[in-house]
Amino acid sequence: MRTFTYTIKDELGIHARPAGLLAKTAKSLDSEITITRGDKTVGAAKLIALMGLGVKCGDTITVTISGGDEDASEKAMREFLENNL
Amino acid sequence: MKDKIFGVLQRVGRSFMLPIALLPVAGLLLGIGSSFTNPTTLETYGLTKFIYEGGILYTVFDIMSKTGSAVFDNLALLFAMGVAIGMAKKEKEVAALSGAIGYLIMNTAISALITAHGGVESMAENTTTSVLGITTLQMGVFGGIIVGLGVAGLHNRFYKIQLPQVLSFFGGTRFVPIITSVVYLVVGVVMFFVWPFVQMGIARLGQLVLESGYAGTWIYGTLERALIPFGLHHVFYMPFWQTELGGAMVIDGVTVQGAQNIFFAELASRGTEHFSVSATRFMSGKFPFMIFGLPAAAFAMYRAARPEKKKAAGGLLLSAALTSMLTGITEPLEFTFLFVAPLMYAVHCVLAGLSYMLMHIFNVGVGMTFSGGVIDLTLFGILQGNAKTNWIWIVIVGLAYAVVYYFVFYFMITKLDLKTPGRERDGEETKLYTRKDVDARKQSGSGSADRVSALILAGLGGKDNISDIDCCATRLRITVNDAGKVSDKLLKQSGASGVVHKGNGVQVIYGPQVSVVKSRLEDFMDTPVADDPSLLTGLTDAPEPQKSEARAAADIKLYAHMSGEVVPLEEVQDEAFSSGALGGGAAIEPSEGKLYAPCDGTVDMVFDTKHAVNIISDDGCEILLHIGIDTVKLGGKYFESHVTAGQKIRRGDLLISFDIDGIRNSGYRATTPMIVCNTEDYYSVQTVASGGVTVGELLININ
Repeated sequence: MRTFTYTIKDELGIHARPAGLLAKTAKSLDSEITITRGDKTVGAAKLIALMGLGVKCGDTITVTISGGDEDASEKAMREFLENNL
Repeated sequence: MKDKIFGVLQRVGRSFMLPIALLPVAGLLLGIGSSFTNPTTLETYGLTKFIYEGGILYTVFDIMSKTGSAVFDNLALLFAMGVAIGMAKKEKEVAALSGAIGYLIMNTAISALITAHGGVESMAENTTTSVLGITTLQMGVFGGIIVGLGVAGLHNRFYKIQLPQVLSFFGGTRFVPIITSVVYLVVGVVMFFVWPFVQMGIARLGQLVLESGYAGTWIYGTLERALIPFGLHHVFYMPFWQTELGGAMVIDGVTVQGAQNIFFAELASRGTEHFSVSATRFMSGKFPFMIFGLPAAAFAMYRAARPEKKKAAGGLLLSAALTSMLTGITEPLEFTFLFVAPLMYAVHCVLAGLSYMLMHIFNVGVGMTFSGGVIDLTLFGILQGNAKTNWIWIVIVGLAYAVVYYFVFYFMITKLDLKTPGRERDGEETKLYTRKDVDARKQSGSGSADRVSALILAGLGGKDNISDIDCCATRLRITVNDAGKVSDKLLKQSGASGVVHKGNGVQVIYGPQVSVVKSRLEDFMDTPVADDPSLLTGLTDAPEPQKSEARAAADIKLYAHMSGEVVPLEEVQDEAFSSGALGGGAAIEPSEGKLYAPCDGTVDMVFDTKHAVNIISDDGCEILLHIGIDTVKLGGKYFESHVTAGQKIRRGDLLISFDIDGIRNSGYRATTPMIVCNTEDYYSVQTVASGGVTVGELLININ
């Protein structure tokens, strides 16, 4: 299991569009990925739950990766967050 | 290669069963009918007062006799069609039609050549006959089998053929009768020149068998039994029963070939004094071991069963023994010991051969329609009178056989500790083996994915949704159980140029090659892949095909979330929506600034910017309603929310009101998609409305 944190830089936060892209990315990976904000943890592949986190600009999220090819999954998630959020 | 030949031969043997199954009935008609129209029988039993020519009873028996005879007279045609059906892999009805056509064409071609050659008089004696009114070469059932096998070959090869577009109406199954008629025209011509030599050859071989005497009969009988496990016995004995191999004879001025045909011709003839044993020696031998021998063997197995299992084994053995006794169908009993005690089966074969020989020696002339059970013995032995059949020897030899079978079997079972029914080790099931057990070892399922058929199947809502498939010149005509599950989009992806709905009827237009499409689809539906629901999910517009945990069938309906114009999701000016990345759904270009609940459910969250709301329906459907494109950037301006997270809502509740003009004037579109975020949980998410809609109209069907 790997974890890393990321602080959202996109000024609109994780709204519908990036949430959709994030969910799609998470689904394409073979690891189980969860995202935690505050005391709420959701599956990154669940679009509606992801949007439900209400992540805003400046919030710090914790990304947890477990199972499958964790190296590749972590790399993909980091890249996605850097490029989109 | 060896396996392949064996497999084909086995299928040939099995394909004979369809026409053969008709023989007992035809035999009953012919047997009863001819017995009571035979003057000798009538005089013997003093029935001339009741049954006389012109009387009602006589006419009834005459009708029975003649209709039964019709089956035997046209057996070749029945074989041409029956074997084609049995050997065809698919679309068997087309094979049947082609078999009939092939048979008619072949005989007509021969007939024309006979005429050109100078008519029947110029042919060798007894080599011609009249079949269905066509004067042709005497080919017996062989002629029908040649047609049946050839047609099946042509059929299996061509029933899916695709022809160039202009000719494509004649493609697929329609091509089979066409190619059959051409091929059998040529076969007929070839037969005219070749068959006379075959006739000579068979006549010589038959002569050899006939002259080999009692030993020949014994070998015939033993081989016939030995071939049963392989299902090849029909291939072996049929030529003796039905062709010149079993002898030829002139009866009442007509040349008759084959042991069985000779017997029935003699049965129908009123001048028969004793049935020709040279013919019945290929049949009579069955009676003693089928009526007496095998049931005694069954009794031996029952006696040898362990006491606690006697009851179960007894039931099985009794029914199998009765079947053998009455109908002469021995497989249920023979397969019982064939697998557990092959040696016993070998002994059985030798004894069976001996039975044929003994019948030959004792001059027994009892024929049969199908096999040697009590029914046939009564009709063709006892009722014909001992003077004509010597049937009493069947009972005498049979009683001896019962004793021999009982002791030989009982001795072998107990001495060699053979595991016949009721003697298994604990935990093993007492059962009769069937042909399926034999075949099961050879079967292995293989399914190849056919993408077009998969698309069609998915588009039709899956295998379970299809109640009937047919096609006309250009259209696939399907009757579905639920028209709501049909997806035009998927059907069009499969190459259809149009889809027409009429109630539960769906017509998918493919053009003239439709019969090929249909055959492939039917093939595909037989593969295991077609039963896999994930196939359907994989092809619908779900973003992730492999998530296949489809929720149960209950349909979910979503109603228009606002009034305006329906915009297909693909046309929404934002790739996040139009690509389907967020899920399936539909959008509305609003005419009024109000967003309503599309279903009953719970508000999961309202975005801070109030431009979007998530709803979880009571059915578990996760819905995102997103007002406008990129409107997150408005930061809540022009939007007013009327609900909060966690609030229960009912369909038609006002969720958000907004200022359309304000949004549009700020440079944003007000197009509002309704997205099913968990589309991958369903078979399909389908937009069922188009054009203008008002709030509350049905917009989306989810399966």
